[in-house]
Amino acid sequence: MKHTSLLADHLALGAKMGPFAGWDMPLQYSGVKQEVMAVRESVGMFDVSHMGEFWVKGPQAVEFVNHLITNDFASAELGKAVYSPLCREDGSVIDDLIAYKLAAEEVLICVNASNIEKDWNWIKSKSSGFKIDLTDESEQTSLIAIQGPKSSQILSELDFNTSIDTYATLRTNSAFGEVILARTGYTGEDGFEVFCTHEQAVLLWRALSGLNVVACGLAARDVLRLEACYPLYGHELSDEWTPLDAALKWTVKLDKADFIGKEALTNYQPRFRLIKLILERGIPRDGYAVKNTNGDIIGKVTSGSMSVVLGKGVALAMIELAKLANVPKSGEIVAVVIRNQDYPALVVKDAFLKGGRA
Amino acid sequence: MSHNIPNDLKYTSDHEWAKIDNDVATIGITDFAQNALGDIVFVELPQVGATLDKGATFGVVESIKSVSDLYAPVDGEVLEVNSALESSPEDINQNPYESWIVKIQLKNPKQAQELLSADKYTEVVEAQ
Repeated sequence: MKHTSLLADHLALGAKMGPFAGWDMPLQYSGVKQEVMAVRESVGMFDVSHMGEFWVKGPQAVEFVNHLITNDFASAELGKAVYSPLCREDGSVIDDLIAYKLAAEEVLICVNASNIEKDWNWIKSKSSGFKIDLTDESEQTSLIAIQGPKSSQILSELDFNTSIDTYATLRTNSAFGEVILARTGYTGEDGFEVFCTHEQAVLLWRALSGLNVVACGLAARDVLRLEACYPLYGHELSDEWTPLDAALKWTVKLDKADFIGKEALTNYQPRFRLIKLILERGIPRDGYAVKNTNGDIIGKVTSGSMSVVLGKGVALAMIELAKLANVPKSGEIVAVVIRNQDYPALVVKDAFLKGGRA
Repeated sequence: MSHNIPNDLKYTSDHEWAKIDNDVATIGITDFAQNALGDIVFVELPQVGATLDKGATFGVVESIKSVSDLYAPVDGEVLEVNSALESSPEDINQNPYESWIVKIQLKNPKQAQELLSADKYTEVVEAQ
């Protein structure tokens, strides 16, 4: 099993390690509750070096990435980052990613660890005819996420230039030399991600530890992203569905120049609707059935957990549109089946971390 | 990491403890189990009077990220449940050996002797 350059540091912090996408990763350190609250109220740090990094360089780098992804990358200003699904011609989702426009002829693409090989093969196969140079630098690149309301302050103490906008990026100097800094993340809080060498990652992690930044594992990361209602590949996104099945219409820009999947997505009638649920009692888990008030099964939970901020069970669920005339609206009650028992669940509009208002 | 394994209790390889008083077994989960689960946020208890078969699930303990079944260590009938755990499941993390989950009237008191001693259970934990 692969491990990041920080394995010894994780073990020294008493991390519970576990397998994720072929990597031995820290799942939790001090406890999921404490780690989630550190990010919501102060600052936490995550070693997410398992994620993949591809570089696209050359005169057609931006044009190529704009052709690959469904969101609009061409119109993004220099130094901006764009979240997007990566689709096949039929509109099915290969992965979701963030593309960083580092320079006019340089793009960094960050992809899910579980999909590195699949993404690389796809992107490589689509690159012929473009004046670009494509490299997979996942093995040489570490990624540390610093997330929470105090993340900017903490990074300033380590000489990072944090005066960048949300979803912006720059190559910048720091106490550890030059790195790529981006104001992106997966927690719903203000935060940064630092793409750097393995040596820099170790120095940065230890310096952050010295500033009492709370180490957070993948378990807290999953709760944080669910509270923010961000999709996770393998849960809300898959090879079987399109972005339009997963409430990602805002990332599919049908009015931009030609891109892979445009025709299929233009004509696509969504088969699913993603809804957000809050339970007063019981904890929904992935795969649990969702019923309407008539007792008919209308879909299933794709991600479920106890929300730390709400202290209640929360879920994202995919409702099969073919099975019902009326999709449950916010404010309505459905049921999640937990161990053969129906538990009432309120359909809400807002992300859970905002209180999940109906 | 060392775990608290009191000598006066009996154990199962599913990381439950049992305190035997005559023909009543008081059941909980061990320090090792609570530590492995992390923050416990939900406990599902059986009905008082329910009949339990050794090895069958009788309840559930959930942490933020996981669901773990509870297995009856002996045959018997549920005499009492610790309903305080429904509102404060985190008590199990804080005091695993005081936060009992159920009391079972033993159907077959001999089964109590088949449970693991503290020494045997220590070997189970060390092998993990």
